Amino acid sequence: MKSVIKAKGVVKTFQGGKKALDEVSLEVGKGEVTVIMGPSGSGKSTLIRTFNGLESIDEGIIEVLGVELDSYHDERKVMRIRRRVGMVFQQFNLFPHLSIIDNITIAPIKVQKRNKEEVASKAFQLLAQMGIAEHAMKFPSQLSGGEQQRVAIARALAMEPELILFDEPTSALDPERVKEVLDAMKQLANNGMTMVVVTHEIGFAREVADKVVFMDEGKIVEISAPEDFFSHAQNERSRRFLNQMM
Amino acid sequence: MKFIKKNLNLFSLKRWIRNKPVDFIVTMFLMLLILWVATLIVSWFILEANWNVVSDNLDLYAIGSYPADQKWRPMIWMLSLSTLTIITLTWRRKGILQKSLPWIWILMLPSGLVLMAGGPGLIPVASHKWGGLALTLILALSSAFIAMPLGILLALGRRSKLAIIKYSCGIYIDSMRSVPLIAILFFGQLLIPLFLPVEFDINRVVRAILAFAVFAAAYVAEDVRGGLQAIPKTQVEAAEALGLNPKQIAILIMLPQALRTAIPALTNQAIGLLQNTSLMAILGLVELLGISRSLLANPNFMGRYLEVYVWIAAVYWLICTSMALLARRLEQELDPNILTIKSNEISN
Amino acid sequence: MRIPKSFLYQLIIAFIISCILGVLFNNLIVNLIRTGIGINFKWLMRPAGFALAETSLPYKPSDTYAWALFIGWINSLKVILFSLILATLLGIIAGTARSSSNLLVKSISSLYVALIRQIPLLLQLFFWYFVAFLSLPNTPLEPIGKLLSLSNQSLRIAGVNISVEFCALLIGLTIFTGASIAEVVRGGLNSVNRGQWESFRSLGLNERLGLIHIIIPQSLPAIIPGLTSQYLNLAKNSTLAIAVGYADIYAVSDTTITQTGRAIEGFIILLASFLVLNLLITGSMNILNKLVMRIK
Ligand SMILES: Nc1ncnc2c1ncn2[C@@H]1O[C@H](COP(=O)(O)OP(=O)(O)O)[C@@H](O)[C@H]1O
Ligand SMILES: [Mg+2]
Repeated sequence: MKSVIKAKGVVKTFQGGKKALDEVSLEVGKGEVTVIMGPSGSGKSTLIRTFNGLESIDEGIIEVLGVELDSYHDERKVMRIRRRVGMVFQQFNLFPHLSIIDNITIAPIKVQKRNKEEVASKAFQLLAQMGIAEHAMKFPSQLSGGEQQRVAIARALAMEPELILFDEPTSALDPERVKEVLDAMKQLANNGMTMVVVTHEIGFAREVADKVVFMDEGKIVEISAPEDFFSHAQNERSRRFLNQMM
Repeated sequence: MKFIKKNLNLFSLKRWIRNKPVDFIVTMFLMLLILWVATLIVSWFILEANWNVVSDNLDLYAIGSYPADQKWRPMIWMLSLSTLTIITLTWRRKGILQKSLPWIWILMLPSGLVLMAGGPGLIPVASHKWGGLALTLILALSSAFIAMPLGILLALGRRSKLAIIKYSCGIYIDSMRSVPLIAILFFGQLLIPLFLPVEFDINRVVRAILAFAVFAAAYVAEDVRGGLQAIPKTQVEAAEALGLNPKQIAILIMLPQALRTAIPALTNQAIGLLQNTSLMAILGLVELLGISRSLLANPNFMGRYLEVYVWIAAVYWLICTSMALLARRLEQELDPNILTIKSNEISN
Repeated sequence: MRIPKSFLYQLIIAFIISCILGVLFNNLIVNLIRTGIGINFKWLMRPAGFALAETSLPYKPSDTYAWALFIGWINSLKVILFSLILATLLGIIAGTARSSSNLLVKSISSLYVALIRQIPLLLQLFFWYFVAFLSLPNTPLEPIGKLLSLSNQSLRIAGVNISVEFCALLIGLTIFTGASIAEVVRGGLNSVNRGQWESFRSLGLNERLGLIHIIIPQSLPAIIPGLTSQYLNLAKNSTLAIAVGYADIYAVSDTTITQTGRAIEGFIILLASFLVLNLLITGSMNILNKLVMRIK
């Protein structure tokens, strides 16, 4: 299987802080759904953000879609990666001054220099796929959290990425809104999208994950298939975490 | 109305005195005070005020000593400015007119300059003949036109990663903001020629515009910087994750949001700028306040201070208030939240 | 390479900036040689030769320019200090009045702010000077006996003489700045969570006590920066003294420059004196801010 991400010995220390990533190595194959779990502050966000260069690294190598990043953090390589990798954030981070349709089309038009009409019709198609076509002309503040997050997914998809990173996409949502977002994500997974998802949604992990990565204190403690992880986690810390979750 | 209705009811008046005696006394005292001041003002208006110092000189207030045979030029310009203001404030129907409003506004400054100074088919009129309200408006609009982009560049420069840009912009902004405007204007008149090549001579109006612009740019820069700081870091991250480059992020994501949050502060700057053009009255230009001063020096109108001051205060007040209203209109136009706010208001 | 590249950019920009400065400076030198002035500060020690209407320290025309400028600076400080205090009081009253439950009080303070902020300060100063003070009669009015006497020359309170120029400037600056401070105060009060108002009311505190003990302390962090910038504006605006003939630092510099033709030196001195004024204001406000933060 071709690998999309190959991280080796990644170390990241924030200024004046402790090590957020400590010798992390991880491989993600094409079409795979990888779920990252772990207690708050364990470095999940930091790790996923190194994959598209939002965080630089101090040691180690990360190869994303054939582009290699190291401690040097070459801006041009980072840009090459970002063009092909989508990201969805916990707080949606839609652009409040742009309409929904502009939010989705801005990157394809400005970054990929694609044709406006083509991008717009693609965007409508994506919104329909996310079940929110009627909101295309509204502004983010007029949408509910769940709708905003689905727009954010559509925005990432509009770039036709080969990999999408999700950082706790449902944590900021009202409980009754979580399902609509998870359903959209499941649909993506079923279509064969490569995804790395930081989430605490056990049901989602059980159903669609190919593997579960458990992190604690900047280290990857365990990598297992979901059925193994949730029934008999090998590591004691993973078991304690799961006990608290369930 | 509600106030009067509530308090004229005798029953509640008693209750009012009993429950809030201090409130009652303060209100009564203020009412007497208002009555007294109002009597003074009304009696001045009816008995003492002599408005011919205003009515005899309307042209002077409007255009100063602009050649009489050409006076239609500034008059037409100011007339179209006020028409445009009224249309912008009242016309709510969507359509071609509303769509073209921003463009008409942008055209107002160049057309004003051409009309005032002369151009194709128009006799040139030297800037020392400009005056009155027309000069006030030209000074304020032209310097704002230079100060806006300069201020935005300075604000972005102050956030630059390159130390030299960051610190030069910082030093410029901070030192401009620590000096009184009148000093900048006075030394602008004195020093700008000293810093230019010998053969280069620029007139007083241009010097004043430049001085106002470099001064106002520093204030614009701080307001824009405030707007930039209010944007959450996550906005930049989201834009970066989409692969936008730093320049695109600044222009497409940061500036639109920063400028929108900065509108109230920028409006105050614009109003301040218009008011500050009056400083040129003590530095030798006959803009609105300057022309009033020279009128008051005229033996025919000696001592009619109050009439003149009340009159031009009203003109300034009207202009500044319209500017504030225009800015609020712009804010509404740019604010997508307005729809949700309105529907919330209805539901509440 | 990353660092050298940005370093290169900076070099280029530094070069451009120094080119611009160089051209400006060169023009300056050429112009100075052409007019034969040059730059020096020796003239500061020559007798000024002009009289000052307002002197807080002994001064006569035979004193030096330097001393005249210093007197001007003291005069600036005097009017800034007094109007700072009065404008703060006025601003607090008008600002809190705007959240008053008394509709009349509320409307008067709104009217005050809306009117004063939309009329140029210079025009207001002209009004206070030419209309309010210079139209007083020549012979002193004594509305409350010997304690207070008013004429178009001076104001006399309890034996202390104050010039009408100072009074006009003081009143004009106070009323203008008070309106801006009222806005700052109102913004600060609004920055306090509405829940705080409800909770002190539910505890049975009345509006005045709640305002003093609950709301104002919490609004100070939001108020103090705004207040500082209003004080700095006040200091800058005080240079409009020249319009009413009060001898502040700017007015004295103006006369000095006109007499000596020393524009550049005069500008430098004016900048330096404003630097000191600004530092005095920001310094005291920083101390105040620390005190407030400690109380919190
Ligand atoms: N920008 C930053 N500066 C300093 N420390 C940070 C920063 N971002 C994260 N950290 C620290 O790095 C560690 C890992 O954080 P994060 O990756 O956000 O954890 P998680 O997403 O698993 O909750 C935490 O201790 C956090 O405090
Ligand atoms: Mg996180």
